[in-house]
Amino acid sequence: MSFREKTAWISLLSMSGIYAWYFWSAFGSGSHFGGLLVAIVALVIVQTVLTVAVAVVAPREAKAPRDERDRLIDLRATRFAYAVLAGSVACACFFGGFNPPVIFNANVLLFFLVIAEILRSGCQIIQYRRGA
Amino acid sequence: MATIRNEIRRLRFEHGEMTQQELAEKINLTRQTVNAIELGKYSPSLEAAFRIAAVFGRPLESVFHYSEDE
Repeated sequence: MSFREKTAWISLLSMSGIYAWYFWSAFGSGSHFGGLLVAIVALVIVQTVLTVAVAVVAPREAKAPRDERDRLIDLRATRFAYAVLAGSVACACFFGGFNPPVIFNANVLLFFLVIAEILRSGCQIIQYRRGA
Repeated sequence: MATIRNEIRRLRFEHGEMTQQELAEKINLTRQTVNAIELGKYSPSLEAAFRIAAVFGRPLESVFHYSEDE
C-alpha cells in the first residue's frame, strides 16, 4: 500500500469517525459551535499524528513527490466529489427557502461538505486498489 | 477494447534483475505506479513511456505494444 493510499485511509476514517460524533450531537441538541471547534481540533491532531506515524515507518515513500498516477487519481476523485458537493449544495439552497434555523442550515451545508470529502478519499482508495 | 501491453518485466530482468523500485527512481515515478504499468492496470503518459524506453535503451514500440481487440 502506497503512502498516498494510507493518507487517504487516514482521511476517510478520521473524518467519518469524528464528524459522525459531531453531527450526532449537533442534530440532536441543535446549536453546537463548541462541538465543531472540538471536532476540527481533534481532526487536525488525529490526522497529523497518524500521517507522521506512517511517514516514520516508510520515510522514503513519504518524501517522494506525487507522480502522474497520483495526480490523475486525485483529479478524478476531486471531480467526483465536486459533482456531489455541487448537487447537494443546490438541494440545501432549495430547502433553505423554507426558512430553517440558520445553525441548522449551516450544519446541513457542513454535512454535505464532509460527505463530499469522505467520498473523495473513498474514490482515491478505490482507484489505488484497482491500479488507477 | 484497446489494450496496451508491455515488456517491462522481461526487460527489468534482462538489465541485471532491476527492481521496480530502481526503475521507479530512474524515471521519477513511485514503485506502485511502475507495478500498475507492468500489470497493464495503468497506461503511462507518453513522456513516462519514453523515459521507461530510454532506461532500457530500446525504442518505444519494443517496450509497449498497442492492440485493438475486436
